[in-house]
Amino acid sequence: MKKILITLVIVFNMAQLIAQDYKFGKVSKEELEETYYPLDSSANAAILYKKRYTHFEYIQGVGFEVVTDVHVRIKIYNTEGFDWATKSIKYYKSSSANEKVSSLKATTFSINNGKIVETDLSNKDVFDEEINKYWSQQKFTMPNLSPGCIVEWKYKISSPFKSIDNLQFQYGIPVKKMHIEIEIPEYFVYNKSSKGYYLVSPKVEKKRGNIIFNTKSRAEGTGWTPSGTTNFSQTNIDYIITKEIYDVNDVPALIEEPYINNIDNYRATVEYEYSELHWPNEPVKYYANSWEDVTKSIYNDSDFSNQIYKSNHYNEDLAVVLDSAKTNSDKINGILELVKRKIKWNNFNGFTTENGTRQAYKEGVGNAADINLNLVSMLNTAGFKANPVLISTRSHGIPLYPTIEGFNFVIAGVELDDKIILLDATDQNSTPNNLPLRDLNWQGRLIRDDKSSISIDLIPTEPSEVNSKIIIKVDELGEVSGMVRNSYTNLRAINYRDTYCKLKDEDIITKIEDKNKIEIEELRVDNKKDLYKSVVEMYRFNSENLVDRVGDKIYIKPLLFKSETENPFKLEKREYPIDFGTPLIDNVTVSIAIPEGYKVASIPEKIAIGLPNNYGMYLFDVLTSGNSINVKSYLKINTAIYPALDYDTLKVFFKDIVSKNLESIVLEKATL
Amino acid sequence: MKNILTPLLFCIFSTSLFSQDYSFEISKIPINLLNNANSVVLFEDTFVNVKSQNQMTIEVNTAVTVLNKLGDYNSHVYVHFDKNQKIKSIETYIYNASGKEINKVKSKEYEDVSAVDGGTLYGDSRMLYYKYTPISYPYTIQKKYVIETINTGFVPSWQPVDSYSTSVLSSSYQIKSSEGLAIRFKEKNFENYTIEKEVATNNLKYKVVNVEAIKREPYCPIFKDFTPYLLVGLNKFSLEGIDGEANNWAEFGKWRYDYLLNGNDEINDSAKSEVLNLVDGILDPIEKAKIIYKYVQDRTRYISVQEGIGGWMPIKANDVHRLGYGDCKGLSNYTKALLNAVGVEAYYTIIWAGDENRDVEEDFFSMQGNHIILNLPTNDGDIWLECTNQKVPFGYLGDFTDDRNVLVIKPDGGIIKRTKIYEASENLQKSIGSYEVRGNGSIQAEVKIISKGTQYFDNLKSDGASDKELDVLFKDYFSHINNIKFSELQVINNKKEMAFEEEIAFEASNYAILNGNEMLVPINAFNRNFVIPKRVRERKLSFQISQGYLDVDEVDIKLPVSFDIEYVPENKTIESKFGKYIVEVSKVDEHTYLYKRTIQINEGEYPKEEYELYRNFRKEISKYDNSKIILKSKS
Repeated sequence: MKKILITLVIVFNMAQLIAQDYKFGKVSKEELEETYYPLDSSANAAILYKKRYTHFEYIQGVGFEVVTDVHVRIKIYNTEGFDWATKSIKYYKSSSANEKVSSLKATTFSINNGKIVETDLSNKDVFDEEINKYWSQQKFTMPNLSPGCIVEWKYKISSPFKSIDNLQFQYGIPVKKMHIEIEIPEYFVYNKSSKGYYLVSPKVEKKRGNIIFNTKSRAEGTGWTPSGTTNFSQTNIDYIITKEIYDVNDVPALIEEPYINNIDNYRATVEYEYSELHWPNEPVKYYANSWEDVTKSIYNDSDFSNQIYKSNHYNEDLAVVLDSAKTNSDKINGILELVKRKIKWNNFNGFTTENGTRQAYKEGVGNAADINLNLVSMLNTAGFKANPVLISTRSHGIPLYPTIEGFNFVIAGVELDDKIILLDATDQNSTPNNLPLRDLNWQGRLIRDDKSSISIDLIPTEPSEVNSKIIIKVDELGEVSGMVRNSYTNLRAINYRDTYCKLKDEDIITKIEDKNKIEIEELRVDNKKDLYKSVVEMYRFNSENLVDRVGDKIYIKPLLFKSETENPFKLEKREYPIDFGTPLIDNVTVSIAIPEGYKVASIPEKIAIGLPNNYGMYLFDVLTSGNSINVKSYLKINTAIYPALDYDTLKVFFKDIVSKNLESIVLEKATL
Repeated sequence: MKNILTPLLFCIFSTSLFSQDYSFEISKIPINLLNNANSVVLFEDTFVNVKSQNQMTIEVNTAVTVLNKLGDYNSHVYVHFDKNQKIKSIETYIYNASGKEINKVKSKEYEDVSAVDGGTLYGDSRMLYYKYTPISYPYTIQKKYVIETINTGFVPSWQPVDSYSTSVLSSSYQIKSSEGLAIRFKEKNFENYTIEKEVATNNLKYKVVNVEAIKREPYCPIFKDFTPYLLVGLNKFSLEGIDGEANNWAEFGKWRYDYLLNGNDEINDSAKSEVLNLVDGILDPIEKAKIIYKYVQDRTRYISVQEGIGGWMPIKANDVHRLGYGDCKGLSNYTKALLNAVGVEAYYTIIWAGDENRDVEEDFFSMQGNHIILNLPTNDGDIWLECTNQKVPFGYLGDFTDDRNVLVIKPDGGIIKRTKIYEASENLQKSIGSYEVRGNGSIQAEVKIISKGTQYFDNLKSDGASDKELDVLFKDYFSHINNIKFSELQVINNKKEMAFEEEIAFEASNYAILNGNEMLVPINAFNRNFVIPKRVRERKLSFQISQGYLDVDEVDIKLPVSFDIEYVPENKTIESKFGKYIVEVSKVDEHTYLYKRTIQINEGEYPKEEYELYRNFRKEISKYDNSKIILKSKS
């Protein structure tokens, strides 16, 4: 069967290839008449064709520029697909040079009474907008759209910078055919890395390039000193160009799913990072190639290394902290808190400093590097073996190996007793080895000043816990009163403090009341500020609606408002791993006092279920003893990332939890 | 007490108005201004100087003390500008709690960025922007700026209290105009505040001190409807170089018609003959209008391009025809042009769109509104056309534009009209269906849901959704049912009836809950309402139910024959001024029941004392919507 399918697909593709003309403007009737994308009928639009050609052009007096030609043809099936007819082309400016967009041409094709109608985008409907100091964009939307139409555009972007934009193969809509050529002269070396589930590799060819230098020289002059008569001459330089050709067909759309880290991690992409310059008759200049090079080039940036070791601006404050600290962990905690207190984060990322550590310390504000390099420096001064750990935050995607561009943030790592303690002073509620979710993204790279480096797991192995204890009393009318004690650890403590600790108690009460449908009489939150203890939330409550009273019976959901009543996993199929952030424990015990005159009619049976590969387990048990009922519910997820392959098992696991949580304890009137 | 206070206030007023002698010391803030406050406006002084019909400067000097993190939105400083509005100067200072200046922002620290939101393709509005990173609380941020503009058609209003949880120590406003430019103004909600003022034809001064912070409460009325608000305008004004003069809405409307619309509504001959062809042989103007409306919906889409101040001039009808897109002004103007071409009168209409029903001020004319629709007067009343939505039926106005005063611009002037009011009974959702529960607790169900009125619009998002998206949308709608698997999901946007129709069939395991030999069947499978307004201790504001509606459900229920029926929820009627709730359960045969449910919620504003009553009303509904049938296994 499989064989037949493949052959069929190939035949189909070939037929398509013959029928299609991908020259700009050569849109066929067949393309226009297509009413849905054959391989995915749910697609609102599809990229029928995308061509990109990136090459280097030598410009006399300027040097090499990177020039990219882009041509895109998009089919729009329905009005929901209209968004794909709006395009923005971003370009970069610096004080010395600008990127340039040129030769923009765009047309909308539609069919009217069997005839193809073309509407060109006119220049006055293209807008040039300055986004900020560095970035501008050309923006346009295509004229005369109708369901079924095709839009096509092409443009050229030339860049004096040596950067090559990422090759993106996957979009929110399917791609039918894509052809990308990247030509790089032998002088420039790029690191390539790819990510995503859909792997793409290029065909490589070599070709020759040639530069003609027109030289002007003064006959009697030496060096650049002008004098005497001028001679004109031409020099011819030949060089080798490596040409990489990517041909892809039928790439499925990339669709967002819940419980996902960052969808871009799964997008089929190839990145080119500029790593070496081999200029003739000059020593090779390295940008990045191996981890050693990455470390070297970061340390060579004086901005970076100076910040870490040559500092004394904090000595007095540090001495105070060290004076009162006895153990190593006292010292580390004290230094972390000192940095947090002294420098507030301005929400900017970066692994190089913005203000410089000294200035940031003085002014009390800084970016991630300003703050965490101060932290590294202080820890070193205090005698610890501390180093920067480069990381990529979740919104930045997973770091690719080995590249500088992969990282956008720096935290601190202390090597102590064969263990590594990770610290991030940009988050006020973070503690050693308890980093905010933003940081928990695969692996970081600890870099030492001897230029060695190691990769560090950022995802904690220790679970983040919520422990809940509920004690309630039910009266004959079905009214419930009771007490709750919730304690939160690790990431959940960070999250609780971030969300609730800035609120007044009365506002916390309103939030809990609304969520749990109860009325709170008294609330206390302990250890709001004491980060080195679990945060503990306690309240007394009552509720008329928590249990059902029917005839002589009272029905109680064993976990009350702590019940899981909805399966979080609703999708039939799952493409990407499920991201829990960290391992988790949810531990709830409920103790219910049976009202006078009532006895237990039935209680739910206990269950113990597990996930494959020890990924997780769930225990639920109800016991009666004398006048009270004790419920225990224990959920443990041992992995932060759960594979998509085992999605069905996870879905069933949560289905069983939900249906168990929905069962009732039934009390009935005792006959006298 | 009051007697002493007033002269004292007056004293402060007469000496300190517009003087620069302010203290930044936190300890000087009266204690009553700290209650419920995240920030305190120490002072805000606005001085508007209208030098001529097309030259106006606005000077603002304001300082806000931020008491905690929740007040940090004040740490963003931004001042807008464009080609006709220039920033003459801008200064920002930061003070610590003891009032010491700790930072003066350098001019290179302001970023020049686009002030256009993501929904707009292009706009030329820009702003200077600076964000301060707080290093401790409380802190004070002072900004002083002067802008100069040619657009005297937009005179800044005064809204001394402009957000919740913000108290005001002092706020003042002054406008001065040169000879011949009379100042017009309207005071709103001044009753409960002590506001000092001086009024003259060419000079106006207002000041308020010591306003305590208001805490946001659920279901609260529109903030602008109960806090002081001063609208200001001129009788002679200018916009983007076009002078105007008016004394009322009629004259103002005439000016807008003559200078802003006229000429933009011409369409070329080929477009004209195309639409004339479409309506060939049709006489009824409403039928013609329907054809034109559909024509516009089929060939245009909403794309926002804003050039000039607020982008108040529509792009030419011919350009919309050529491009197939426009914003609300462009699309409305284009539709109007086509309607006129086929002999149907329609008028450009200015409206405040949004879920809050905000009126165009009936007795104060100025540049108002944020959206454009069309008015089509007929013998049977007004028809309103929303021209930016490709999915809504002809003549449909949703919650976004219903029940509010609007300005209709006719060639001979402007008039105020009110848009359609939707009664609760018009916002009807009718669910007719059946379900069968099996012995293992699973359910098989089908239901047809028809939504009208404002409820029609709530469902419109599923029109055009793919099967995958529908699956997600309806799993969300039926989120109270786990393990749901749809076998049918069909949605029809019935424009003719202005009704949204959904046909749904599904199965779900573990619907009923098994407790030993008992089975609990939640009786209300399709439409459970668990909304209970948040509890508020000592409510201060009246409350508002902003949208009334009516839901009617009729469901046949089949229960498994292997079980005896122990208990069936009783009939229930709850009635109150907020609405009604009626449930009737009747037995059809031994294992079949008919479940009928009606819930109506009435729109309205109610006194704060009744909030608890409303909560109880909703609590009771929530309780009955959670009722269960109890079955006992026969074996």
